[in-house]
Amino acid sequence: MTEQKDVQFTIDGQSVRAKPGETVLSVARRHGIDIPALCHHESVSAYGACRLCVVEVFWGKRSKLVTSCIYTPYENDRVETNNERVRRTRRMILELLLARCPKVEVIRDLAREYGVDEPRFRTNGAAREGKAPPEPTRCILCGLCVRVCGEVVGQHAISYANRGMERVITTPFADQAEECVGCGACVFVCPTDALHYEDIDGQRIMKELKTTLPLLKCRVCGRPFATEKQVARIREGLNLPDELAETCPSCRGSEFRGIMEQTLGLVQSTTSQQD
Amino acid sequence: MRQHKIETREHLAEVRDSARRALLDGKPKVLVGMATCGLATGAQEVFDALCDEVRKSKLDVRIVETGCNGGCFLEPVVDVVLPGQARITYAHVEPSDAPSLIESTGDGKVYEKLAIGRIDAEPFLLEDLRKNYRRGKLAPDVKKVPPYSRVPFFRGQMHIAMRNCGFIDPSSVEEYIAKGGYAAAAKALTEMTPEQIIDEIKTSGLRGRGGGGFSTGRKWDTCRNAHVEPKYVICNADEGDPGAYMDRSIIEGDPHSIIEGMIIGSYAIGAHMGYIYVREEYPLAVKRVRLALRQAEEFGFLGKNIFGSGHDFTVRINRGAGAFVCGESTALMASLEGRVGEPRAKYIHTVESGLWSRPSCLNNVETWNNVPVVIARGAQWFSGIGTEGSKGTKVFSLVGKVKHVGLVEVPMGLTLRQVIEDIGGGIPDGGAFKAVQTGGPSGGCIPAEYLDTPVDFDRLTELGSMMGSGGMIVMDNHTCMVDIARYFLAFLKDESCGKCVPCREGTARMLDILTDICEGRGQPGDIELLGDLAAVMVDGSLCALGGSAPNPVLTTLKYFSAEYRAHIEERRCPAKVCRALITHKINPEKCTGCTLCANICPMKAISGEKKEPHEIDESKCIRCGLCVDSCRFEAIEVSEGMGQE
Repeated sequence: MTEQKDVQFTIDGQSVRAKPGETVLSVARRHGIDIPALCHHESVSAYGACRLCVVEVFWGKRSKLVTSCIYTPYENDRVETNNERVRRTRRMILELLLARCPKVEVIRDLAREYGVDEPRFRTNGAAREGKAPPEPTRCILCGLCVRVCGEVVGQHAISYANRGMERVITTPFADQAEECVGCGACVFVCPTDALHYEDIDGQRIMKELKTTLPLLKCRVCGRPFATEKQVARIREGLNLPDELAETCPSCRGSEFRGIMEQTLGLVQSTTSQQD
Repeated sequence: MRQHKIETREHLAEVRDSARRALLDGKPKVLVGMATCGLATGAQEVFDALCDEVRKSKLDVRIVETGCNGGCFLEPVVDVVLPGQARITYAHVEPSDAPSLIESTGDGKVYEKLAIGRIDAEPFLLEDLRKNYRRGKLAPDVKKVPPYSRVPFFRGQMHIAMRNCGFIDPSSVEEYIAKGGYAAAAKALTEMTPEQIIDEIKTSGLRGRGGGGFSTGRKWDTCRNAHVEPKYVICNADEGDPGAYMDRSIIEGDPHSIIEGMIIGSYAIGAHMGYIYVREEYPLAVKRVRLALRQAEEFGFLGKNIFGSGHDFTVRINRGAGAFVCGESTALMASLEGRVGEPRAKYIHTVESGLWSRPSCLNNVETWNNVPVVIARGAQWFSGIGTEGSKGTKVFSLVGKVKHVGLVEVPMGLTLRQVIEDIGGGIPDGGAFKAVQTGGPSGGCIPAEYLDTPVDFDRLTELGSMMGSGGMIVMDNHTCMVDIARYFLAFLKDESCGKCVPCREGTARMLDILTDICEGRGQPGDIELLGDLAAVMVDGSLCALGGSAPNPVLTTLKYFSAEYRAHIEERRCPAKVCRALITHKINPEKCTGCTLCANICPMKAISGEKKEPHEIDESKCIRCGLCVDSCRFEAIEVSEGMGQE
C-alpha cells in the first residue's frame, strides 16, 4: 500500500485539503460550508439514503452528482455544493419528503429554505381508493436509529422490513424486541422526532418499537432511572460494581467518588483494549 | 464409474473425440426442446409419448432432452436427425403426433405435417467446423423442407451465445465437450498468461451483456490489478425484467458454457472462488447449473490444479429470492453476503471492493457464455462481428405484439426493423407497429420513426432507451403509451428497495400522477411535474434502478406527448385502452337484439327487448370490454372520450 497523503481539491472555489479517507461533507463542514443532510451522523457509518447532501463534482469536462457524506475526493476535484443542479435536486427531494411527512418541522423548514412551501404532489392515493387518509408518518427511513442501535449500542434490535413505500423501521416480527435494552439512543438520534419513549409506572414504553421494559429503581433515592436491561448491559460491559451500577446519576455523589474514579480508570483501560 | 479427472489438453481432445462420435453416431435421434418455454407448452408430455412409442416400436431411436433454440412460438419443438440426410425441425408437436413421428423417423422419412425447417450440418462454432448430416443425395421429402436459411425466423440470426441450445443435452457434460467445450478453458489455463487473456478479451470488444455495456476486458483488468486478496468472480443470473428470459434459456440449455467462462475469468483475474447468483424462480436453471457444477468437479474442470495449471477454482450457487434490485451488482453482493439486498454507493467500484469488500468481478450470464468463444475463435474473429462500438451478437427476447415470439440472437448492428419485421414476422392480426420497449422496465419506448436504428449499445442510449439485458417488447396501435408507462412504473415502484428518497418516493409519486392521468384526473402541469421529477430521479438516485426508472416516462413523453395531452386536456385515450377515458356504445344499425351481450355484462348495464337494438347504461358500464368480445355483429363500438360530460 502506498502511503496515504492529504488530498488537495476545491469546494466552491476555495482550495481545501481532505485527510486520507475524509469525505467531502466532513471537509465542507470543517470550513463552515453548510450542506444539508438528514441520514448522516458522525457517530455512525455513512448510508447515502436521503440524498440531500448531494454535491456536484467536476473532473475536467465531466461532472456528476455524488453524496458528499460518502464521496472521498480525489486530487484536483472541483466540488460545487450549491449550484443550480444541486439545488434543483435538493428541492425535489425535499418536496418528496414533505409530501411524505407534512408535519415534520425540520423538513418544512429545510423545504422552505429551498423554495418549497407545499409539495405539488397529490397524496390522494387513499382517497382514490375510498379510504380515510392515514396519519402521515414522521419517519423518513434515514436509518440512523438502525445504525446507532447496531454500531454504537451493539444490540441490532431494530431494522427495516419490506421494500419501497412499504418499508418501515421495526423490531423482529413487529413485536417486543428481545435485543432492545431501552437505552433510547434511537430516539435521541432520530432527526424527525419519529421515535419516542415514555417512562410510566416503572416501565419504559417505546411506542413505535412495540417494546416495553421494566425500569430499575435507584438504590439510593428509589426513583427509576434506566431500564434493567440497560444497566445489566452496561455492568456486563464494564464490570461495574452493583452499588454503582444501580445508583442513578444524580445520587452518584461524593460517597461514590472513589468507586467512580476506580471505575473510570477501568473504563479507560477497557476502551484502549478494544482499540 | 468414477470419472478420471482430465488434466491435459490431449486428454480433453480424446474425450471430445469419443463424445463427438457418440453425438454423431449416425443413428436417428429425436431432440425435444425442454427448456421452461417448452415445458410450459407440454414438451414433457410429448417427450413421454415419444419415449413410449420408441419402446413399443423397438426402433433404435435415441430421444434426448435439449434446450430451446429460440423459437418459443413454435413450441413444443422436436428436432429429428435423419441419418445421412438432415436435421428436421418440427413445430407444435402434440403427444398424439408421437406414433406417426416415430414411425416416419424409423423409416428415415420426414413427418411432413409439422416440419418447418431443416439443418444440413451440425455446427461446431468453437472450432469453426460444420459436419454434414448428409451422405449422398437428399431424399425428395427432405429436400422439400426449407433449410433454415429460408425460414424467416432463423434467417439473419447468428447463434453464438445460444450455440449449443437445442443441440446438446444440457445435463450431459460429454455432449458439451463434444461440441468443443472446455477446450477454451484448457487453452487459456495452459497456454496463455492472465495478461494475454485480458488483452484478448479487451481486443475482442466484448461489452457486458447485463445492461451496463461496460468493457469486459477493462473490468477484468481493474480487478486483476486490485491489490487485495482474495478476489471473487460472480455470475449474475438474477434476470428480473418482465418479458426477458435470455439468461434463463442459456443456463437451461447450456449451463457449462457459463462455468467455462468463469474458469477462464477466474484465472485471468486471480480469483479462486466464484458464485452464481440465480433466482429461485428459475428451478430448472438451478437444477441444470447444480448438476453441471458437480460434473465439472468430477472432470476436474473445477477444484484444485485445473488442467495441471496450478490454478484452483470453486464455484457455488446462491439462490436469490426474486428481488429485482438484486440484479444491481452491489445489492447482489449484499445478498450474497447474507444481508438485505440493498445497493450502496459505488464510488469505489466493486472490482476493487465488492463482495466482503474484496475485489469482485461480476458479469452477466451471456457475458460469461461469450468468453470461451472469444478465447477459442480469437478476438479478431469476434470483433469482426457487430458494429464499431458493439461487438459480437446479442440475444433478445422478442415478445409482445409480434408474430414470432422467442429468443433471437443477432449480430449487433442489425436494425430494429430487421429484428421485429424480418425475424419477428411483424405485428399479428393486421395491427400496426407503434413502439418497441428495449432494455426492460427501465429502458425506453422507441417509436416507428426510429425503427431503422441499428441495435447497438450506444445508439439505443442516444434514443433515451438502452440495450439493457435484451428485453424487446413490441407494441401495436392498441397500446396506450401512458398506460404502458404506468405499468412499468408500477413494477418499479414495487421493486424499489426503498433505501433512497428519489427512487422510493419518486417512483410512487410518478405512479400516482400516471394513474391519475389514466383515470381521467390529469391536471395541467402534470407533464412538467413528471419531467422535473424524472430529472432528479435520474440525477439523484443511489443506484441504477432509480436512475433509470423514469426512462419509460421520459421516452413516452418525448415521443408520444400528444397522447399524454389527449388524456389530460381532452380526457380521451386515443388507443382506447384507459377505461375511464373511453365509451362503449351499441350501434343500433348493427345490433340484432340477440341479447348475448346483455347476458354477459357483469354489471347488468345492457338492456333492450329481444330482436330490438340494445342500449348500454353508461353510468353502470365499467368498460370491461366483455360485450365487445361477445358481439358477433361488431355492433358495440368503443370511442375515445368520456361520453357523458
